Amino acid sequence: MAADTVKITINGLTYSFSMGDNFGQIPWNETLLDTLRNRLNLTAAKKACDEGACGCCTVIKDGDAVPSCMQLTADCDGSSITTLEGLADPVTGELSELQKKFIEYNAFQCGFCTPGIIMTTKALLDKNPNPTEEDIREALSGNYCRCISHYHVLEAVNALAGRPVDLDKKWEGRR
Amino acid sequence: MKNFGDQNYNPEQYKYVGKVNVPRKDAAELVTGKAVFLDDFKVPRMLIGKMLRSPYAHARIKSIDVEEAKKLNGVVTVITYKDVDQNWKMGWPPTKPILGEEVMYVGDAVAMVAAETESIAEEALELIKVEYEVLPAVVNALEAVKDGAPQLYDMFKNNIITPGYPPFQKDGPFWHLVKGDVEKGFEECAYVAEDTVEFAKMPAPNAPEAPGAIVRWEGGKNFTVWCDTQSGHICKTLNNIVMPDASFDVRTFNVGGSYGNKQSQVVQVMSAAILSMKTNRPVKVFQSKVEQMCCFETRLGSQVHARIGMDKEGVVKAVKAEWTVDAGCLSNATQGQIGVGIGETQIVMAKCPNWDLDTALVATNKQPAGIVRGYGGQELNSCLSLLMGRTMREGNFDPVEVYKKNYVCEGDMITWRDGRQWKIHSVNYVNAIDAAAKKFGWKDKWKGWGVPTWESEDGKLVRGVGCGIIGNCDVGEDNTEAYVRIVPDLFTDVSRVVIQTNITESGMGQRSNVVKMVADVLNVDYDMIEVTPPDVKINPTGFGLCGSRGTITYGHAIVSAAEDLRDQLFKLAVPYLEVAADSMYLTNYGVATDARPGRFVSWKKLIPPDLTLTGYGQHLENFSTPNMFMIFVEVEVNKETGQVKVLDILGGSDAGQIIDPSMLEMQAQAGIGSASLDTALYEEHVIDPATLRTLTYDMLEAKTRPFNDFPTYETCFLESQFDTFQFKAVGVGEIAGAAAASATMQAISNAIGTQVSTYPATPAVILKALNKI
Repeated sequence: MAADTVKITINGLTYSFSMGDNFGQIPWNETLLDTLRNRLNLTAAKKACDEGACGCCTVIKDGDAVPSCMQLTADCDGSSITTLEGLADPVTGELSELQKKFIEYNAFQCGFCTPGIIMTTKALLDKNPNPTEEDIREALSGNYCRCISHYHVLEAVNALAGRPVDLDKKWEGRR
Repeated sequence: MKNFGDQNYNPEQYKYVGKVNVPRKDAAELVTGKAVFLDDFKVPRMLIGKMLRSPYAHARIKSIDVEEAKKLNGVVTVITYKDVDQNWKMGWPPTKPILGEEVMYVGDAVAMVAAETESIAEEALELIKVEYEVLPAVVNALEAVKDGAPQLYDMFKNNIITPGYPPFQKDGPFWHLVKGDVEKGFEECAYVAEDTVEFAKMPAPNAPEAPGAIVRWEGGKNFTVWCDTQSGHICKTLNNIVMPDASFDVRTFNVGGSYGNKQSQVVQVMSAAILSMKTNRPVKVFQSKVEQMCCFETRLGSQVHARIGMDKEGVVKAVKAEWTVDAGCLSNATQGQIGVGIGETQIVMAKCPNWDLDTALVATNKQPAGIVRGYGGQELNSCLSLLMGRTMREGNFDPVEVYKKNYVCEGDMITWRDGRQWKIHSVNYVNAIDAAAKKFGWKDKWKGWGVPTWESEDGKLVRGVGCGIIGNCDVGEDNTEAYVRIVPDLFTDVSRVVIQTNITESGMGQRSNVVKMVADVLNVDYDMIEVTPPDVKINPTGFGLCGSRGTITYGHAIVSAAEDLRDQLFKLAVPYLEVAADSMYLTNYGVATDARPGRFVSWKKLIPPDLTLTGYGQHLENFSTPNMFMIFVEVEVNKETGQVKVLDILGGSDAGQIIDPSMLEMQAQAGIGSASLDTALYEEHVIDPATLRTLTYDMLEAKTRPFNDFPTYETCFLESQFDTFQFKAVGVGEIAGAAAASATMQAISNAIGTQVSTYPATPAVILKALNKI
C-alpha cells in the first residue's frame, strides 16, 4: 500500500501529489501520461495507442525510456521523470544538442511521434554515448512513426553517436 | 532576386527555393513539445463525448434504455437515434444518419454520451441497455451486389452506391471510361492477360494521432470546429452535406499524421456538433486508437476483373475492366476517388486508344473506407499493374522499357476525374525513368521475368527486383486563393510579411515551402515571413494538402499574390525613384532601381502609416501536368519460411524545380508508410468471419514496420523546369508509395520464379505459391 502522497521529480521540480478519488486528487489508477498531460500541462508526450505499443508517450524514468501510458503515477513515487519539455535550458531556452541535431537533419514530418523518439534517443545516449547503428535501431524499434521519418532520424542520431552524414556533401550546391 | 519579370524564375537566382538552408518554420516547436495538436488543446467548459458501439455488423435497435446512464453524476446528456434528426445524413449522396435505428458495422454508433470527464462518459456507456434484432450482413463487395444479398440502404439497389460526386464532376457523374473499340483493340494485341485481382484487405493508414474534433455550437446552425483534419476546407464541405446551410468555422493545428485519411471527419464533427447542441457546451469527440482502427476510414477495397492487351512493341492497346470498389458502410465522396483511379490508370497506359473501364461503388457491412494517400489510384494500380506485368512477361519485355513507352507525356489526352478531356502539357518523364533505373542498377539486377537476381548456395534464399510506376493529375486540382501582406514595423524601416492562406501542416513542410517561395519573390529573409493559422473563416479558399496539390496550387496562388504585391510596390515607388516600374527591384524591405544607383524607398514609406499592403493571387484548377513516381524494389525471399525481406528501395521522379530537397526526400521515403509498400507484405485488416469483428483492432495486432527493419532507400530526382507555375515545380509526395505494393509483388515473383498475386504476400501466400503448403 503506497502512501497517500506520492512525490515525483519532473524535469527537476518535485511535485507532491495527493492520491485519492476526491476532486483534485490523483486516482490510484491514473497513468503518468494523464498526470503529465492533464494536470501539469506537459503535453509533449502524446496519448496515442495508450497500451505501450507506439512510443509516442515516451518519457525518461530514472534513466530508462518508458511509455508513460503504462506507468501508474502512484508507482512513480520517488522517481525522477524527464519529459521533452525538460531538455532545453530552462532559463535561456537554448535547445539541447539532441534537439539541435533533430532540426539540423530535419528528423521529423508531422512531429507527433517526435517527442517519444527524442526521449528514447536521449535515454539511449545517456547510457551509451557511442551506440552502433544496430543499437540505435533496436532502441527505437518501439517508436511508431507512420510518416517515415526513420531515415532522417537515423542520420540525426548517428551524428550524435559520432557518425555524422556530411550534410554539405549530401546537399552539395544546395546549402 | 531582382524582380523584372519571368526571367527571374531561374534556379540560379533563388536564395531559398531548391536549397536546404533553413529549418522548417515549426521545427523548434516540434522538438520542444511546444507544437499544439488537437488533444493538447482545451476549450472552457468542454465536455467529453463517447459512443456506445454496436457488437453486430448489421442490426436494428429493438429497444434502448438510457435512463440509468443519464442518472450518473457528471453525465450531461445521453442521446440515441430518437434524439437526432434523421434527415441529417452523412456521405454522398446523403446516406446514413448520425445515429440511426439500424447499425451497419461492428463498431457503428448506437448512442452517444457527453460527460464532464472521459471516465464518467465511459462508465455511462456501460449503463445503456440495448436489445438488437440481428440482421444478415455482407462484408464482401462482390457478394454484396448479387441479387438476394443483404441490403444496407433502400436507396442503393444491390448495394451499388449512386455514381458521381458533383463538386468533382460538374458536368455529371463520371464512373465509366469508354474510348475507341475495345474488342477491335484486342484483335491487334499480341499479348493478352485476363484475371480477377484483388487489393481488398483494406488496411488502416493509422496516423499516430487519432481523429477527433472539438465542436462548440454558437447558436442557430453556427459551429466553431477545432479538428485534426488535414484539410479544414474539405472537412467543412463534407460536413455541410449533412447540414447544408450550417456554418462550420474549422480551425486546425499541427496534425499528427493523416496521409489523406483525416480529412472529412464527418462522424467526429457531427457527433460533437449534435452533443454540443444538446448540451449548449463545447464537446470533444476524440477516438481511441482501438476506435481509430475499428471505426475510422480504411483504404478502399478493390476487386478488378480485367483484360489487358499489349501489341508486339510493348504498347498497351486495349483495356477492359470491371472495378468493384468497396466503400464499407459509408461513402464520403468515394466517387471522386473512382474518377481519379480511372484517370491514373490512363496515365500509366497513356498510349492505349481502346478502353472499357466500368466501375461499381459498393456498400458493405464494414467500417467506412475512404480517402488514403493514393486516393483510388493506388487501389486500382495495385491490381492492374499485376495484369500489365503478365502481358509484359508473355512478351518478355523489360518493364522499365514498357513503362517508358506507355507513360503519359506532353500531347497525350487523358479523361480525368471530372470526366473532361485534358491534353497533357509540358511534362515528359522518360529521362527520369532512365535515370532512376540507372541509379538502382536495374539493367544488372533484372535478369528477366521469373528469374532471381541472386540465389544463395543452398538455394534457400533468393532475391528479385521489381518496379512500379504511377502518376496523378490532381497536382493542379481545386481553385485556390491567397493574400500576401506587408506589415511595416512601427518604429524601424523593417517590414514583416504575412501569407494569408489555409494550409494545415501534417508533415509535408508545405507551410515552410510557401514561405521560401515568397522570400525569393520579395527578396526578404525567410525569418521575416509568417503564415496565418489554418482556419477556413479567416483565410481565403484553400483545399489543403492533398493529391500533391500543395506545390502547384498554393505555390501559384501565393506567388501570384506576392507578384501582385510587388507590382503594387513598383507602382507606388514611381514618384520616388522616377523610373519605370520595369526597371525596379525589391531589396532590403524597399524598392530600388538599377537605372538610378543609390535611389531607394522603403516599403514603409510607400504604405500609409499603420496600414498594410495586400497582394492577391489565384490558382484555377488545371489537370494538364501529371506527376510521376517510379519505385524500384529488391527483396529477398526465404523459400523455406516464406518470409520476405525488403533489401533496397529506390524512388525516382522528376519534380520539376525542387522546392525543398530534404522534405522531398522524406516524402519519397514516406511511401513505405500509410498502408502503401507494406500492403504487399503484411499490412491488412483482418475480420473474423464468424463475428465480423476486426481482429487487427489495435497496434499490438496490426503489423507495421519497426525501426530496425527498414531497408536502404535511395532517391533519384530530376529537376526539369516544367511549365506549371512561376517556380516550374510539380508536387509528387502523395504518390510516393502508390506503386510500391505492385513493384514488391513483381520483385517477389521474380525472386521465387512463380507469380504471386495475393496481397499481402505473407509467408503462407509465398509457401502456397511454391506448392509447399
